[in-house]
Amino acid sequence: MRRALTALIALCILIPFPAAPAEEKVTLTIMWADWEPAHLLLKLAEEFTKETGIEVRGNFVPWPQYHDKMFVEFASRKTSFDICLPDSQWIGEAVEGGHLLELTDWIKEKVDLNNYPEMVIKSYSEYPDGSGRYYGVPGLLDFVLFAYRKDLFEDPKEKEEFKKRYGYELKVPETWEQLRDIAEFFTRPEQNLYGIAMWQAPLATAGLVDEFLGLFWSKGGRLWSGYEDKKVVGYLNDEAGYEAAKLWVELYKFHPPGAANYSVDEVLTAMQQGLVAMAAIYAAFYPALTDPKKSRYADKIGFFMSPAAVDPSGKKHHYVQLGGQGMSISAYTPHKEEALKFLEWWIREETQWKFAEAGQITPDKRVVYDDRFLKLAPINEVVRKSLPLLRDFWEIPEYNEMAEYMSRKLNQACLGQITPKEAMDDIARRHEEILRAAGYYGR
Amino acid sequence: MRIGDTGLKWLFLAPTLLLLLFIVVFPLIWSLGLSFCKYNATRDEPPLFVGLQNYRRLLSSPDVWRRFTVTGRYVLLAVAGEFALGFGLALLLNRRFYGKGLITTLFLLPMMFSPVVIGTFFRFMLDPNWGIVDHVLSKLGLPRIAWTSDPRFAIYSLVICDVWIWTPFMILMTLAGLSTVPPYLYEAAEIDRASWWLKFRYITLPHIAPILILALLFRTMDAIRFFDQVYVLTGGGPGEVTETVPFYIYKVAFSYWRTGESCALAYILVIVIIGLSSIYIHYLNKVRGR
Repeated sequence: MRRALTALIALCILIPFPAAPAEEKVTLTIMWADWEPAHLLLKLAEEFTKETGIEVRGNFVPWPQYHDKMFVEFASRKTSFDICLPDSQWIGEAVEGGHLLELTDWIKEKVDLNNYPEMVIKSYSEYPDGSGRYYGVPGLLDFVLFAYRKDLFEDPKEKEEFKKRYGYELKVPETWEQLRDIAEFFTRPEQNLYGIAMWQAPLATAGLVDEFLGLFWSKGGRLWSGYEDKKVVGYLNDEAGYEAAKLWVELYKFHPPGAANYSVDEVLTAMQQGLVAMAAIYAAFYPALTDPKKSRYADKIGFFMSPAAVDPSGKKHHYVQLGGQGMSISAYTPHKEEALKFLEWWIREETQWKFAEAGQITPDKRVVYDDRFLKLAPINEVVRKSLPLLRDFWEIPEYNEMAEYMSRKLNQACLGQITPKEAMDDIARRHEEILRAAGYYGR
Repeated sequence: MRIGDTGLKWLFLAPTLLLLLFIVVFPLIWSLGLSFCKYNATRDEPPLFVGLQNYRRLLSSPDVWRRFTVTGRYVLLAVAGEFALGFGLALLLNRRFYGKGLITTLFLLPMMFSPVVIGTFFRFMLDPNWGIVDHVLSKLGLPRIAWTSDPRFAIYSLVICDVWIWTPFMILMTLAGLSTVPPYLYEAAEIDRASWWLKFRYITLPHIAPILILALLFRTMDAIRFFDQVYVLTGGGPGEVTETVPFYIYKVAFSYWRTGESCALAYILVIVIIGLSSIYIHYLNKVRGR
């Protein structure tokens, strides 16, 4: 026994310990939604790795689970990711919780903010608006645009019939009222064809409110009295708000059956399968419609910008709902220096060009206003026209509950359970309740 | 130092007890404490004690009661459906026939799949535009139904999905109960020329009643906590017609981050489940005592 023990100890001494690595290799993890732009970013990051030796990997989550997954990790005060791309409206929730690294000094030193539209900086980087405190750099530009079936819109018989019925030419709509007429015109259940598909699901993210607000603002709607006093009743549910809700509910009649739960996938599928003549999507999803492997009508799909509208007093407004994400750094990462290097690489004009050349959308004005950009993707003309019209909604931490309630009530209005007016009145009342409970009115 | 028998017993038990204490008892006590606080888990602020405010607010909220109504309706429809189908199928399966083993195994398959996967399949199958169910309905000359998005049918889409998954459980429990009935009782009844109904009423039912009540208890408890398919199939919509209490708790906890309030609602649900279970257990004891 003693001999065996001695042999074991000798063996342990003789086996050499593995040499400690000279320097530990850093791998940055990026959390983003599981979609085309994320996979493209990872591919482009190979060049960053070549340049710096820092590896990059992705932690991509499907859109419907993305918010909850990110904030559950934030709540544990330890994240599996170093860099994240929170949806623009989550910035307040993330900053107030202390989950994002403040980049104000770094941005002032490294980023020329003039390269981006003001709305993009406000939505993706700055919190609170106008505070001059920054928590990210612009990541992916995204906004609502419309896809349409060119074969239907350009068919001479359809054009003739449309003119006979509505008294004007069938072409891509410039106003929400024209969009309504066209949606009605193409709604033909007997041919299994419907006018339009838009996000209708009662969700805070990728739900109804994301696509409703373009119409709401263009009708002259206001979410509240202003960032300072945040009064909602009498603002959100004024005449303009009612009109917007009424038109949204009317548009629902021209959706395919069962559209009340439509979100990203359902709207894309409806367009890919030729079930609808028009669909409202967020711009970054467009490759799913133009890829022949995914879309039966890939070569027949065109794009147009979110339309304008006239408010009850007759004044014309034109706003486009902003989406997209900034690129931020988790406050809990042990690799702050490396993450900052990645952000610096990302905002380079050269990297932004590569992102655009691969068919995705950059908010960098140096790229968007260069005419070469227009030829890079079928949506790029719409991107350039939409850029000055972008508008985003609440970015306060309570946004999730407010957006979800708004989606749910308008969803009920679409289904005829309540009237559009009742929906807007109820939303306004509930929004004030949420804001009051959060303590905004006593401040 | 010598360890006595009692010491050794505690030494062996200690790791399990500590683990249970850490993963079960501690979160329970911690969440009970949070249910009396205003607290947001994503904020760097400590919980603020508010007494019974969360409970008062929840119990006086019509929104919460509406969700309890949805949950109650769903539980009643789903458990009744599973019971009727499972019991009937078990009676049919409780005889000798060729391929009985294979058929019984096939019947049990739905229970073995992940509820999320099943929910996703049902979402596609019930789609009114390209789903197989509506395709068959239209071939039969029946109107298409927007199962998951029509407020009149959405709850039934959840019930159908749940009945499909959990009917096998009822079959299994009923078959287990039926196997305990001594065959000589049926033989005696045959001699007395008792009808099928009399045999069922006075022999089968009294013997399997305890196990049936147990099966109903398990299914009711589970159905009240129903979450997966709501999340995948309807997302609580359209409007709020399929928003059950557990789904609402999830939203309050992880979307709105009202952590204290979500803990309070979870405890209210636990009290409801305990109350319902007590009723079942009362009947179970009554049946057993006969």
